[in-house]
Amino acid sequence: MGSNRLDSSAWFQRNSTTGRRAWLRWLPAVAAPVAIASGALIGSLPAGASNPLPAKTPAQVLELAASHQVQTFSGTMEQSAELGLPELPATGKPSGPASPGSVASMIELLSGKHTARIYVDGKDNARVQVMDQLAERDVVRRGSDVWFYSSKDNAAAHLAMPAHSQGPADAKDQAPPKDMQGAPGLHTPAELAQQFLSKVDPSTAVSVGSDVSVAGRAAYNLLIEPRTDATLVGRVAIAVDGENGMPLSVQVTARGADKPAFSSGFTSLSLAAPDPSVFTFTPPPGGTVKELPVPDRSREPADAHQGAMHNGAKGRVAVTGTGWETVVGTARGSASAAESMLQDPLLSQAAVAVPGGRLVSTPLLNVLVTDDGRIFAGMVAPERLQAAAAAAQ
Amino acid sequence: MPSSLPADIPEAAGTARAAAAPRSSGLSLLASELKVLFGRRRTGALLLALAAIPVLIAVAVKVSSAVPAGRGPAFLDRITQNGLFVAFTAMLVSVPLFMPLAVGVVAGDTIAGEANLGTLRYLLVAPAGRVRLLLVKYAGALAFCIVAPLTVGLAGAAIGAALFPVGPVTLLSGGVVQPVEAALRIVLIAAYLAVSLAGLSAIGLFLSTLTVVPVGAMAATVVVSVVSQVMDQLPQLEWLHPWLFSHYWLGFGDMLRQPVLWDSFASNALLQAGYVAVFGALAYGRFVTKDILS
Repeated sequence: MGSNRLDSSAWFQRNSTTGRRAWLRWLPAVAAPVAIASGALIGSLPAGASNPLPAKTPAQVLELAASHQVQTFSGTMEQSAELGLPELPATGKPSGPASPGSVASMIELLSGKHTARIYVDGKDNARVQVMDQLAERDVVRRGSDVWFYSSKDNAAAHLAMPAHSQGPADAKDQAPPKDMQGAPGLHTPAELAQQFLSKVDPSTAVSVGSDVSVAGRAAYNLLIEPRTDATLVGRVAIAVDGENGMPLSVQVTARGADKPAFSSGFTSLSLAAPDPSVFTFTPPPGGTVKELPVPDRSREPADAHQGAMHNGAKGRVAVTGTGWETVVGTARGSASAAESMLQDPLLSQAAVAVPGGRLVSTPLLNVLVTDDGRIFAGMVAPERLQAAAAAAQ
Repeated sequence: MPSSLPADIPEAAGTARAAAAPRSSGLSLLASELKVLFGRRRTGALLLALAAIPVLIAVAVKVSSAVPAGRGPAFLDRITQNGLFVAFTAMLVSVPLFMPLAVGVVAGDTIAGEANLGTLRYLLVAPAGRVRLLLVKYAGALAFCIVAPLTVGLAGAAIGAALFPVGPVTLLSGGVVQPVEAALRIVLIAAYLAVSLAGLSAIGLFLSTLTVVPVGAMAATVVVSVVSQVMDQLPQLEWLHPWLFSHYWLGFGDMLRQPVLWDSFASNALLQAGYVAVFGALAYGRFVTKDILS
């Protein structure tokens, strides 16, 4: 009797939990993923234009971008490149010394995703921290002193800039660009935007898309489309800050592609002056310190157009073509640069043999290393590089 | 596994707690759970094994020749100059396998261990309730998540200080901090790792409610952590990477920057909170609808 009652009550309990209320117990297990998914979905939606920027014509936005005067800011930027270059896995990066400005570090920065913190205060103080996993590459500029530091091998390098580079006459020296030499594959949005805006010519279609939000700031979406078929670039989208005209992000899409092959943009930005302590750098104890030779300023004008190539070439630089069809070539006698490029295991793996040399081909940029050691680069089809190489002979 | 050995049964732990539960809230249940967890020989052995990692590293570096710069795991080449780097190296080395292993053992044992010992129903006889028991069990696993990285870090700092000189520590950004602040950074990394392991603990808790064989839940938890890390390495699954609970595990290097980068800490905490919510809810759904037969 007793046991019978116990059984029936247990049966009742079981029945009630499995039957009527059991599904209620599983409700949180359903609700939690749904809540997370909807939260993620809302977060990924483009921010609504609750406070739309005043309408501007493309010419006005171009002018706004060209006239921006932001010299003091700090922020985090993300650069991602899908150029089809050999990608290194996230762990197990080459542990060899990552010397500042080496070809390897350039390729590494031009493949995959990278995050960097940038601090800029006026023209003379800047710091870029390229944040790798468990490592960091720093470029610190304070006045005429520039320090490069790589935490991987605890190596610091110092460069004393010539005094005339700080003069106000050096108008194109817009804070960060010149300080990026330690991380030549990394480009700030402002630096990139400047390069692309310089290519805008009457043959370029410029339009303004609907406003975008970058790093929490409303921005004009300036769309630049080269009309010439000669370039690999299909479209460049530049987010221009609605308030101060600072380029906040740049996305470059190859011709015929629908997703950007290269993008660089701020994920957070503050216009307050950074803490001055970030611009001080003393080489840490126990590491190596190297003094770098002062770069030759005479080749700078060409540098500005050279894009990703600007650390490779040492010799005379020849520029052919204009605007989007620009091809930059080095003269004979700079074989060392070409050799160092091809000695890099990653790059030599990416290079394919073509008539007249070896070609590193990406959706946006082609680089031709000729058999006699010259380098030609441009955002053009390989045939044009070969033609330029033949013509320069 | 030791759990099946009679010697491992804490002296009538289940019944002792069952007796304590009625006159108290979850707090005393938690206190007794922590006492049982950390009084267990198995837990002590796990922590000892974790503490052995920095000792092994330090001794190996001490008896071998200097590590060339940039070789081996990060920070290894700095140990001879500064003993505190033993702590950083050991924490880095233990993240992929040893920490998840230890946490898997503890989290996988939470419910299944009691079920296996036959103490689960005694715990539930008391009006403590299944929800409270689940919360207390998870809190115990979390406590282990806090203690485990701290053990590695502190053991590393201690053995490093004993075998090598201690001085100002060079951070990833090239700046230098005094040993006191470096110790603070070690604690900060331990906190980062504790947060990192919270999601895995929740997964272990859920798996533990599915079975009465603790070894199964432990092994499954460890396997899940390995699978997650393998998937994190596959470029084909890049869209999935930000959703994997192990995605930010090695991001603790951001605690060693100057200034400290909090972004990864925040993203990691949010991600782990999501895993705790989902697998906590699953564990709840399973545990309160489950027939407790042992």
